[in-house]
Amino acid sequence: MNISEKAKQQVESCRFCWMCRHVCPIGNADGQERNNARARALMISYVLRGTEKLEDAADNIYECTLCGACTNNCKTGWDPKIFISEVRTELVLSGKAPSYIKALLKRYFDKKTIFNGEPADIYGRSEGKDTLFHFGLSAVYNDQETVKKALSLLKNVSTNKEAEDSGYILYFLTGKTKETVEQAEKCAKELNKYKEVVVYNPVELSFMLHQFKEWGIEIKAKLVSFNEKLLELKLPVKKGNKEYTLQDNYAATRELDDLESGRKLIELVGVNKEMLLIHKEANMAGNLIMNEYMHDKMMDVARNRWNNAINMGCKTIVTTNPDEHVMLKKTAPEGYRVITIEEMLIENM
Amino acid sequence: MNEFLFTQVLTELEDAVGRENCSTRVIDKVTHSVDYFWLSRMWADRGREMPQADFVVSPKDAKEVSKVLKIANYYKIPVTTWGGGGGTQGGAIPVCGGILLDTKRMNQIYDFNEKGMYIECGAGAIYKHIEWAANERGYSTMHFPSSLTCSTVGGFLAHRGIGVVSTKYGKIDDMVLQMEVVLPNGDIIYTSSAPKHAAGPDLNQIFIGSEGTLGIITKAQIRIYVQPEVRRFRGFLFKNMTAAFDASRELLQIFKPSVMRLYDEAETASLIKKIVGVAKPGAFMNIAYEGKKELVDVEEKILLDIFNKYGAEDLGSEYGEKWWDEKITFFYPGHMMDLPQMFGTMDTIAPYDKIEKIYWEMKKAIETNFPNIKFIAHFSHWYEWGCMIYDRFICDNPPQDPVEAMRLHNQVWNVGVRTAIANGGVVNDHHGVGIKLGRLMKEQYGPAMQVFEGLKKQLDPNGIMNPFKLGL
Repeated sequence: MNISEKAKQQVESCRFCWMCRHVCPIGNADGQERNNARARALMISYVLRGTEKLEDAADNIYECTLCGACTNNCKTGWDPKIFISEVRTELVLSGKAPSYIKALLKRYFDKKTIFNGEPADIYGRSEGKDTLFHFGLSAVYNDQETVKKALSLLKNVSTNKEAEDSGYILYFLTGKTKETVEQAEKCAKELNKYKEVVVYNPVELSFMLHQFKEWGIEIKAKLVSFNEKLLELKLPVKKGNKEYTLQDNYAATRELDDLESGRKLIELVGVNKEMLLIHKEANMAGNLIMNEYMHDKMMDVARNRWNNAINMGCKTIVTTNPDEHVMLKKTAPEGYRVITIEEMLIENM
Repeated sequence: MNEFLFTQVLTELEDAVGRENCSTRVIDKVTHSVDYFWLSRMWADRGREMPQADFVVSPKDAKEVSKVLKIANYYKIPVTTWGGGGGTQGGAIPVCGGILLDTKRMNQIYDFNEKGMYIECGAGAIYKHIEWAANERGYSTMHFPSSLTCSTVGGFLAHRGIGVVSTKYGKIDDMVLQMEVVLPNGDIIYTSSAPKHAAGPDLNQIFIGSEGTLGIITKAQIRIYVQPEVRRFRGFLFKNMTAAFDASRELLQIFKPSVMRLYDEAETASLIKKIVGVAKPGAFMNIAYEGKKELVDVEEKILLDIFNKYGAEDLGSEYGEKWWDEKITFFYPGHMMDLPQMFGTMDTIAPYDKIEKIYWEMKKAIETNFPNIKFIAHFSHWYEWGCMIYDRFICDNPPQDPVEAMRLHNQVWNVGVRTAIANGGVVNDHHGVGIKLGRLMKEQYGPAMQVFEGLKKQLDPNGIMNPFKLGL
């Protein structure tokens, strides 16, 4: 198996360590031993030693959300995402990826998306030629109505269908392949037509800031998170005493070190009520790519996060990531609701 | 087993737990074949396959466990129970193949009972999750072992685990009220509704520590405690361990700190220097005391007076706080012993009249018989009458050949544990027995072993439950 020395180092370090078991959202949802960093590393170490076959690891490698909870938890600084992503590349290139992943990739290359249906009707808008509002494929295909609401808050911004696919979906499914990098380059070319890009989804923003840079793809446009933009806008909101609980997005907190912008926005309109497991320790609540091939487990992941909210009496969850918004909405218990950060602002204007 | 019969059993197990919760996939068999036992890790590290189960089942409750055990008993198939796989004694390895019963789907919280001060939960719940649930309501389970994040409630009960605040709050066997247990014949039983009674021997204590050899714990009521108003730390440096034992024994007749950890000079000079930063020679001791502030103020005065009397240097609170913050860091890769080193913890326990002698005798026995092996220790769980030794051996260059490595490993354990037993210690304090120490159980108990063997024969006449573990 052809993975880098860096990836092998993570495998050898993680294969006998159980310390991050408690934070894996998938392992917590299904209770399966195979769903933690040590299990994946153990299996891959056996593959590297020639004791087991790569194809027997394939399904399990695609059960990982790449949310980085294990990475964040590791006191030594190991990052299991590195070997998982490289093994995905190996699986795809060797034709040993699971059939449902192959089917999703076929759909992607046929339709330019893995999601069913049509994107949100937001394109053709070029009010502000200097600023682009980038949503990403997850949001425009799965959360159409909230995307429109988000757009309604930003004046003088453009939308650009050609820029929406950053390559993140390909990266998630195949790691760093030629096709992934080419898609990232196409996206960067579109982004660079603007002076500023407001990025709706923190996962996409992190991908652009970190992976594009690692791959030598230059982004001249200034990338701004949606939260940052909302704070800058000084919207005419009223402060009340409603309680809101932020669902910290894993990419925002762990990868972008943004622990406060969502809370500052909540403080503008109401009272910040925390649940357990916040900031970088937050439980992730959904991944729409994985929802395409393991829907039931994703529903359980979201339900687990609701349990944290219920236990702390948090009635209204506020999200900053479309995947988590959609999945929490699908699983909201009676008497509880989930809204996006822009919906929270709008209901207090 | 022939393919036809294998498939027959498989379909019956699928019927018991649901097809999606019964696996014969390679990934599930491999990941349940290596636990935290050094020998299993070494075997895997050398590219050898550990024994694997034939079927991996994940029941959701006692009823499903019962169905699995009835099938296993009928076909006389071994059943090994796996919680988190974080055990160091090989207790969860399916050495005879058969059925591997993973408990982690039994992770529900059934009752958070603030009036009764317990959480009733499935035995497959990861202990850290139970701690989080307690924290969400302002309580704590006060069970903080280094494996808190990776092990299950049932796993800790099965091997009689312990956490770092045990001196004040107790061992896992002090922390449980009622338990639900599935017997090998499939009967679901409940232990008494309260752990202190005069209704015969305590059923809890028969199954706690039985390591899946007598039945499977499926549910437990775990005690919760109010969070302390203050938790204070104090580090001390004793000139020698004798003074530390005397000071601690005297202290424990007056009050119970939560954390008490005494490190021998070798461990003070290695791990403590590296992680906590104490660079002076001597025996470092860390004490934590906690509760209502008024009481803690008094306890602090008593602690300082007694330790001062025995010549301890007061190092202040900084080292203790750092140790608390880093208490789990010690166990991450890169911070503790790891392959290719060979290592093990031969923890034992004894009253104060024997404990120091056991330490010196074990140290002498290991260092004399195995000149290339280091011996370090700390004493981390204390009682009014005695304490335990967490003594570790470290071999930097074990044999590359896995058979030779196993041979040396088992020789070291034989020498260390037999020395402990000969001097009044016990086979193990809180890691359990597993396959690692099973052979030494008869040496520990002598004819008393027939009590365990009688229970085993009565409850598990077909000998299907976790074979070759616990010496049964």
